[in-house]
Amino acid sequence: MANLKDIKRQISSVSNTQKTTRAMKLVSTAKLRRAEELAKRSRLYAEKMNQVIAEIAGRIKCSKIGGIDNRCFTKIENPKIVDIIFVTADKGLCGGFNIQTIKAVKKLIAEYKEKNVKVRLRGIGKKGVEFFKYNEVELFDSVSNLSSKPDKARSDSFIATSIEDYKDGKIDGIHLVYNGYKNIITQELHVTTVLPVDTNQYECAEMPSSLLEIEAEDEEYMLDSLVTKYVEYSMYYSLIDSVAAEHSARMQAMDTATNNAKDMVKTLKVQYNKARQAAITTELIEIISGVESMK
Amino acid sequence: MDTFKLEILTPNGQIFNGEAVSVTLPGEEGEFGVLAHHASLTTLLEAGVIDIEKENKAVESILINWGVVNVDEEKVIVLVEGAVAIRGDNESAISKALEDARELISSIADSNSAIASVSAKIESAAKRLL
Repeated sequence: MANLKDIKRQISSVSNTQKTTRAMKLVSTAKLRRAEELAKRSRLYAEKMNQVIAEIAGRIKCSKIGGIDNRCFTKIENPKIVDIIFVTADKGLCGGFNIQTIKAVKKLIAEYKEKNVKVRLRGIGKKGVEFFKYNEVELFDSVSNLSSKPDKARSDSFIATSIEDYKDGKIDGIHLVYNGYKNIITQELHVTTVLPVDTNQYECAEMPSSLLEIEAEDEEYMLDSLVTKYVEYSMYYSLIDSVAAEHSARMQAMDTATNNAKDMVKTLKVQYNKARQAAITTELIEIISGVESMK
Repeated sequence: MDTFKLEILTPNGQIFNGEAVSVTLPGEEGEFGVLAHHASLTTLLEAGVIDIEKENKAVESILINWGVVNVDEEKVIVLVEGAVAIRGDNESAISKALEDARELISSIADSNSAIASVSAKIESAAKRLL
């Protein structure tokens, strides 16, 4: 049986850990509230933006708008090179949050490899970037400190490279992989294709029969700037959604850790008391046997 | 008079959601008005003021910096980047909105001549409310 001092040291160490995890949980809860609010407010905008884009895409596919041949709206047969952008947290200690995203990215890469498509990996967030660097997967570029503090200007400049390359024909697709916020206890993994815009969301038969008029002198220019805004916003939204998810995941992980520490302290205390009693019993026996021998 | 459903959304939430009789939008190619049963249309909006005429004839003005509008027969969806609604129940709320609007105007980088008329428009909209 371990001696008393050892057990005591262990108890104090575990309860210190418990204090830390509890504090981390509280911090995450506070941060989550703010991030969640932001994500909720933006969700509606993101949804409507998707809807508008999908409608335009649907109409282009069903040629209800004539004569538009925009690269962003046409399905590209036999893509040669695609961008995969992933968003992970900058910090760990949030359960399976980062690893889920990483796994999805790995799966996507493997799928493309099978089809002989080159993948250009762009990373946001230290944890994912570190993982791929360690596993010697080539990263095109990466940024950190963006996923923990989403910033519209930085997110725009990050995604701008991909948008430009897509429009210039250097890449044939942009995928976004991130872990989003669903509710306080669940995160939802999103693997989305941002470009080319998915034209299959609308069935031609369901489309309104009227013609959609694009009221602009230069339709190409209008669609281009609209798509740019759409992609920029998708990027930014994924960042805020991911940050909310990160905090909720961390909150959960820390809550579990606190509970585990509590249980551990309990069992250690039982052990400690048992050891203490054993020591007392031994001492008594020694005294009694000493007295006996003197008789 | 016929009304239609109008939604104005910003990344920070909904700024207007309700029935409107008509809406005037600052399109990139010039200002245009929309009534109920307008033909489907998509276009970009530039910095300017959206005037909404509601069922009770009241007019609400919303300042925007960039946007896209999607009109179809039943509804109008306006997605804007930054917006300030000139509204409020009392003087201080209105002047606060006006302050925000001025700030948004000053943040619009490109100094085109339209900005001056935009400022004049929101000032007059605020006056109407007071």
